[in-house]
Amino acid sequence: MSTPMSTHAVHPVHSSEPLLSVRDLRVTFGRRGEQPFKAVDGISFDVRPGQTVGLVGESGCGKSVTSLAIMGLLPTRGNTVEGSAVFDGEDLLRLSPGQMRDRRGREIAMIFQDPLSSLNPVVQIGRQVTEVMERHQGLSRKEAMPKAAELLERVGIPDPKARLVNYPHQLSGGMRQRALIAMALACKPRLLIADEPTTALDVTIQAQILALLKELVVETGTALVMITHDLGVVAGLCDEVNVLYGGRIVERGDRHTLFSRPRHPYTVGLLNSIPRLDAPRGEALSPIPGSVADNLPWDSACAFAPRCPNALDVCVQQTPEWEGDDVVGLRCFNPMGVSR
Amino acid sequence: MSGSTGLDPAHDTRTGAPGEVLVEVSGLEVHFPIKRGVVFDRTVGHVRAVDGVDLTIRRGETYGLVGESGCGKSTLGKAILNLEPPTAGSVLFDGVDIASLKGEALRRERKRFQMVFQDPMSSLDPRQTVEALLLEGMRAHGLDTDASATHTRLRELMSAVGLPPSGLKKYPHEFSGGQRQRIGIARALSVGPDLIVADEPVSALDVSIQAQVINLLQDLQEELGLTYLVVAHDLAVVRHISDRIGVMYLGGLVEESEAGELYDVPLHPYTRALMSAVPVPDPEVEDSREQILLTGDLPSPANPPTGCRFHTRCPWRQETLCDTERPQLRVVDVAGSSPGHRVACHWAEEIARGEIERHEVAPETTDESSWGAPRDDGSPFLAPDGPPVP
Repeated sequence: MSTPMSTHAVHPVHSSEPLLSVRDLRVTFGRRGEQPFKAVDGISFDVRPGQTVGLVGESGCGKSVTSLAIMGLLPTRGNTVEGSAVFDGEDLLRLSPGQMRDRRGREIAMIFQDPLSSLNPVVQIGRQVTEVMERHQGLSRKEAMPKAAELLERVGIPDPKARLVNYPHQLSGGMRQRALIAMALACKPRLLIADEPTTALDVTIQAQILALLKELVVETGTALVMITHDLGVVAGLCDEVNVLYGGRIVERGDRHTLFSRPRHPYTVGLLNSIPRLDAPRGEALSPIPGSVADNLPWDSACAFAPRCPNALDVCVQQTPEWEGDDVVGLRCFNPMGVSR
Repeated sequence: MSGSTGLDPAHDTRTGAPGEVLVEVSGLEVHFPIKRGVVFDRTVGHVRAVDGVDLTIRRGETYGLVGESGCGKSTLGKAILNLEPPTAGSVLFDGVDIASLKGEALRRERKRFQMVFQDPMSSLDPRQTVEALLLEGMRAHGLDTDASATHTRLRELMSAVGLPPSGLKKYPHEFSGGQRQRIGIARALSVGPDLIVADEPVSALDVSIQAQVINLLQDLQEELGLTYLVVAHDLAVVRHISDRIGVMYLGGLVEESEAGELYDVPLHPYTRALMSAVPVPDPEVEDSREQILLTGDLPSPANPPTGCRFHTRCPWRQETLCDTERPQLRVVDVAGSSPGHRVACHWAEEIARGEIERHEVAPETTDESSWGAPRDDGSPFLAPDGPPVP
């Protein structure tokens, strides 16, 4: 029952070649009669086999749009996607919808936040899990059913054979999310993108699902991109953490460095504004003032400057450039812990 | 926000000294009928949302109720305000049994207890201006007799929750989520209540905004001597904001304690599991701490387990008592535990002293049809005690 978390220690994976390499990804949504909205404004990151990379940020920071763009799941109209997302030598953003369909579910799979709205309510769980194998591996439903039962068992669903004929509404929230993970794993994908996979779940169920994801990464060597707003989830799960603000990555580091020595004022602000279960009580929280509505455009300033306690004059006049590489980095004129 | 909230305490009708009992809940039960049938509604069972809860809230304190979805914490919060009529039991508010009040008497009493809801977008009428929203409650309770006094009062309310007076003419959609929650708080404050029940007041907000609203609630409490009942699933938030915490599981309180002590000396197995499941934003802590993973889901509140409600998932379950006798909240003699610390567990002392070993629990399905069916052995994949398969 007990899980000393250290069994899932970080593997040194930086030596291997990236499996997914996102470069300067930009997603712009056109708005009638208004300035186009840059949801993702130049994001670059690498994911290596067996690595877990976190994209962290609050609503509107572009973390979900990034994943949808990589998966080719954005609507075809009303937006432009620029940049590249090279997966195994191929730029996913240049593939035709048909080519993308061949890869989605087979080599790259995704888990969404709300399992009830990502499952078909009128189709039995078994059929939904076998569908992926029928599409990509050419199996008949009869051949795929036993495999579906194995998958359900593997993700910790009790009595999997009986569950195959259940409909989504007959499962609890945690069970649904497990079924969704089983679907994502059906074709042994090399890359798994999880967009807030535990946000809709209770903490005890969240702990179960996170433990499951950790074990899967260790066992199968699947690369995992974890998109979340919860810094606690990131702290226990991700090898590398990217903090997003206003559509750009503002800080990157391995989780130990990022949490023990955060440098971007936004990262520090986030850490200071969450109450910690293990902190002494009675200390007031220090929230980040203002809201994302105060953001400046990245073109001519730092988007975070109006809410930043460290802001200098230069912060509202120039764009802070990315200083760093694909392992650590920072986008700030006046980081914390440095006096100017 | 710090310092004065700008609210004139003269508008508030609060009386009584801090520390005295404001709310006394005893034996409270709220059961919902389950209906079947096309022509005739037959009642085939009851969902026991709240099933025998005793608690007291003292004036000026913040009582936090935590638990997972379906544990009945929101229903309990509503039942205390008589928004959900109790099936049994009583709620004494300042000595008056609210559960027995009806009609006009209840309506008049309502200005003394108000509620703040989780989702401000769906709890604020989108077609009313903020001014109209704030005035509605005051009007209903006859508090807007003097136009100029009302004018001042509205501006005071806005400044108390950190919004500009110009916001009074705006509609809810013109505000961000955090600002909308501030409007929800201003609306609750407008009638000068003693008690505010806040149901998940910050869970719909981004983390940086959560802290703003938490601080606002605390400042207002200090300024106005408010009493809060905060219902939330986020243990860290509840621990931060509350003086005392009650942990709920399947309709009943399993543990109640002063907030700091609950974290230092958790006595109930469910509390321990719940706290170990909360992720901490610190990799060193995450790597070293021991997690108690519960198996399975919350059992159905329509068909709760016999004996201790938690025994089907409890890693410390014993052969005797647990499945036959429902434990009552009691004070236990354990090092570090104060007399205000109550727990509903037959074996709390033995577990605290480490005399009972933790053991594996097979997951059980929540399906009603599978109730009583032989247990599955559980997936070998989820048994984290063995070494991970390479």
